[in-house]
Amino acid sequence: MSFLVMTITALFTLALYSFLYKDNPVYRFAEHVFAGLSAGYYAGLIFQTVLVQQLWVPLWGGQAWLILPALLGSLMFVRLSPKHAWVSRVAIAFVIGANSGILVMQQLHGLVLPQVAKTFVSMASVQGVLIVVGVVCTLIYFYFSKPHTGVLGGVATLGIWFIMISFGAHFGYTVMARVSLLIGRVQFLVIDWLHLTS
Amino acid sequence: MSLAKRLESLDRRWIFLLIGLSVVLPMFLPITFPERITSQTQALYDTMESLPEGSVIMVPFEVWPSTLPETEPIARAAVRHAFRRQMKIVSLSNVGGGGPSIADRVLREEGNAAGKVYGIDYVNLGYRANYLAVLSGMGTSIRSIYQTDYSGTPVDSLPLMRNVDSYKDVAFIFAIADNATLDYWVSIVGERFGAKIGAGVTAVMAPKMFAYIDAGQMVGLLGGMKGGAEYEKLLGLPDQSTRGMGAQSLIHLLIIAFIVLGNVGFFLSRRNARPA
Repeated sequence: MSFLVMTITALFTLALYSFLYKDNPVYRFAEHVFAGLSAGYYAGLIFQTVLVQQLWVPLWGGQAWLILPALLGSLMFVRLSPKHAWVSRVAIAFVIGANSGILVMQQLHGLVLPQVAKTFVSMASVQGVLIVVGVVCTLIYFYFSKPHTGVLGGVATLGIWFIMISFGAHFGYTVMARVSLLIGRVQFLVIDWLHLTS
Repeated sequence: MSLAKRLESLDRRWIFLLIGLSVVLPMFLPITFPERITSQTQALYDTMESLPEGSVIMVPFEVWPSTLPETEPIARAAVRHAFRRQMKIVSLSNVGGGGPSIADRVLREEGNAAGKVYGIDYVNLGYRANYLAVLSGMGTSIRSIYQTDYSGTPVDSLPLMRNVDSYKDVAFIFAIADNATLDYWVSIVGERFGAKIGAGVTAVMAPKMFAYIDAGQMVGLLGGMKGGAEYEKLLGLPDQSTRGMGAQSLIHLLIIAFIVLGNVGFFLSRRNARPA
């Protein structure tokens, strides 16, 4: 990366971090440039990888049937006309139907069933007891057909504790993730850009 | 002003300043914390070590540029490990917005450093839209999805790809991910096609991934910068992740202090608000 590119990158980084002090025009300029660049990049990416690679080239290569998905896809643009917007529902229905058909069975066999099977564990160990009790109590917390009172209320409260511990773990990891991004940016500014240390 | 009131009215910019200092100071001062290797990291390392030299592995770069501080050091460690064991790498990405170019940069830089040749030792297939079709299709034939690589070279002309056409030809999948695409690698590629999968992921994703480890759906895991630092330690090649862990640990201590202070302030103000 040349020094000029690095300097531009660094200035945009500082512009975005200036929001930490307070909202300002420099921050908003950097934000708008980022949004504009991203939109342009994705428009180009989709044009190249979908329209050119998966439609235009194979269509002229003899796969005439691709006209059908092309027509279906172009129905999405009918939404621009409020009067005829309902036509786009045909394309949306196809996308939702196809994805549901693929994903429901895929997720059931690939994720849900293996995960459920793993909860059928021996309760001879502390870990086994924790897994069984944790799963049962958490599921009961999400059972809303009966009021959470008496024994059901106690089990549901235990479920909340398991959920809270899980949230705690997620929070700790999220802090680590966000801090890592900050460290990466500061390392770029201090080490790569300014060469203040190695 | 009471302590509780002071804590409640503290300008949050003081917190930002302290966090900023905690990131910068470890770069100039030798602040280090002990690094313990977790079982998930060890399992991933051992799996890589158990593969025969010269094996073909797949390294999907399912990453956006925004998470590079976490994912790039992990990716570099994985690629270095593979090249050190003379493995061949087939790379690809289901994240169009940066994934293939990140893969290209990391593989070329590490490949050049290790004296590896593109097309023989490593290949970057690039991006194809529709990850469900891509992941399912490659189980039957990689060529049905990728006729050309990232730079437009026909796949059939790449020596490495002559004997690779589905997951069956790949000994291991070491995914680098920062998004839910990894779930589909597990559910489609792992469960349906029986491929062995390990992953290096962002810390945000790590807690969810532990369920896959417990269920045996993944063999090992590197969670964020910490996972990267552990892997670098196992490799004996401390780099970006290790360098960032001093600041990481310092900020965690600071945030724990903030949480304690916040709770002290909360309980003090609640006690003060109670009618006498």
